Amino acid sequence: MFTDETLDLIGAESTWRKSHQQTQESRSCQTLPVHTAEAETQAKAVLDNSTQTQDQISQTLSLDQNICHFPGLLDFLHRAEDVVTKELVKNSKSHAFDGFEVNWEDQNESVSCMHRLQHVDAQERGLQVTSVSWNCTGSVIGCGFGRVDDGDWSNEKAYVCMWNLDRQKLNPKRPDVIIGVVTPVMCLCFHPLKPSVVAGGLYSGEVLVWDTSRSQDLILSQTGMSADTHREPVYRVSWVPGARRGEFTLLSAGSGGRVLLWTVDGAEAKLILSSGYALVQQQVPQSGAASKTPGITNIEVTSVALSPWDLDTFLVAVPPDGESVTLRAPVQFSFSTRGGPVHSVHFSPFHRNLFVNVGTDSLAHLHTVLQPRPLLSLRVSDSYTFGVRWSPTRPLVFAAATGQGLVQMFDLGRRSLRPVATIDQNTSGQPTYCLEFNPKHTNLMAVGNADGSVSIWQLSAELTEQGAKETAMLEQLANEVAD
Amino acid sequence: MLQAEVEETIKRIQSQKGVQGIIIVNAEGIPIKSTLDNSSTVQYAGNVHQLLMKARGVVRDIDPQNDLTFLRVRSKKNEIMIAPGKEITDLD
Repeated sequence: MFTDETLDLIGAESTWRKSHQQTQESRSCQTLPVHTAEAETQAKAVLDNSTQTQDQISQTLSLDQNICHFPGLLDFLHRAEDVVTKELVKNSKSHAFDGFEVNWEDQNESVSCMHRLQHVDAQERGLQVTSVSWNCTGSVIGCGFGRVDDGDWSNEKAYVCMWNLDRQKLNPKRPDVIIGVVTPVMCLCFHPLKPSVVAGGLYSGEVLVWDTSRSQDLILSQTGMSADTHREPVYRVSWVPGARRGEFTLLSAGSGGRVLLWTVDGAEAKLILSSGYALVQQQVPQSGAASKTPGITNIEVTSVALSPWDLDTFLVAVPPDGESVTLRAPVQFSFSTRGGPVHSVHFSPFHRNLFVNVGTDSLAHLHTVLQPRPLLSLRVSDSYTFGVRWSPTRPLVFAAATGQGLVQMFDLGRRSLRPVATIDQNTSGQPTYCLEFNPKHTNLMAVGNADGSVSIWQLSAELTEQGAKETAMLEQLANEVAD
Repeated sequence: MLQAEVEETIKRIQSQKGVQGIIIVNAEGIPIKSTLDNSSTVQYAGNVHQLLMKARGVVRDIDPQNDLTFLRVRSKKNEIMIAPGKEITDLD
């Protein structure tokens, strides 16, 4: 029944192995044979040389060396003296170059408004621009918003805004940096060396320092409120060179008659009071008008100007008897303006004795520190004048911001006392509160208006390029001190 | 004695009308006497020496028999007068 059977082998061939092998590919490549060549050289002559820097001449310049070190000097001087003297005499009598002017660059003939910068939020709330400041590189303009006409205590939130004018995508309606502040900002000042550090004084009496290069919490240091700080609005902050080179302390002046000096302590984010002066009526030497109010009264400070020549001197503007100059000791000298509160004071960058001030009496007074009465008074506007600044390039030119929204520029070299240029801010009659010249691009001027806008004007070449004898004329003007 | 004479000469030139300062420079361009402050002196001496050499080169290039006697550089604000010497240069 059952038989043995052998069946054929049944197998299933692997499909994957074959397909695997079938998908194999092989490539090969080989570089072409490389050509080589050999050559030999040998230097026949060798020369050694070395250099070394020497000490800078300015450190070892000694000009008082004995003349015997220079044997030919006297002979040379004998020869040269005649030649040089002849040329000098010819030069002083020559008319060859009278009226000869050369212009290397294209002249800008007119004054034009480059930008009109606004912050929409601030404008909606009717905030005014109280101060403007350029940073040390001249590329960023910062402005502080607040109110000048508000007499009462104000807790209104305000702003500090900055625009970088060198950026291509400048949006005049949107500031690059907006810093919210608790109370209105009264004054602003950028650091003279660090482009991102700015100090501001507030209506509440606080002084803050911001650093815009930080990513969070821009406040670098602040004063806080204590018995030593200002209790009244701070009208001016300014950076003053400190004891060491490159160090700056902050000076703040406020209504309470106090002028305080602060050092910035970055580590603790505090401003530390280093010294201060309190201006008291008793201490102010009077010149002319007698003091009206007996007793000790603190003087309200409306403006401070630091002398760029003498680091210990600064001018303080106080109403109503005029200004006073203070040195390290209390008040040294007093100037009379006879016209009411002084809104702005500025020292001339070209002459150590001259300064100009404006106030509510619609005149601009040119003073020298040597005498109490003004040298010259010019009619600026029909109403108050809020700001005045000397031009950084032309010794005889200054600009004043008026209560009618105009900026008047005056040239003391002209015979007529009328303004050389009147720049209308287009604010429909609202006042202009502050103006600043750009320290690096000296043909730019920033003007802050009561309608919450900052206008950047480009001035014409006539207003910015120095003429031939301006410094001499300024010197002459300063020397007209009445006997 | 010599020192006094040199000082006298310099004072005489300085008292001429319109002279702001005097610098005396040696052949290498290093100032040896000056009535101005150090930083201005160094600036003037360094720059003017190069200009003087260039100007002299220009004159002698055009006519090798000729030589530079005086150089005046007039600018908006002032003028630099340079009297070269055989060995020493004098700036005014």
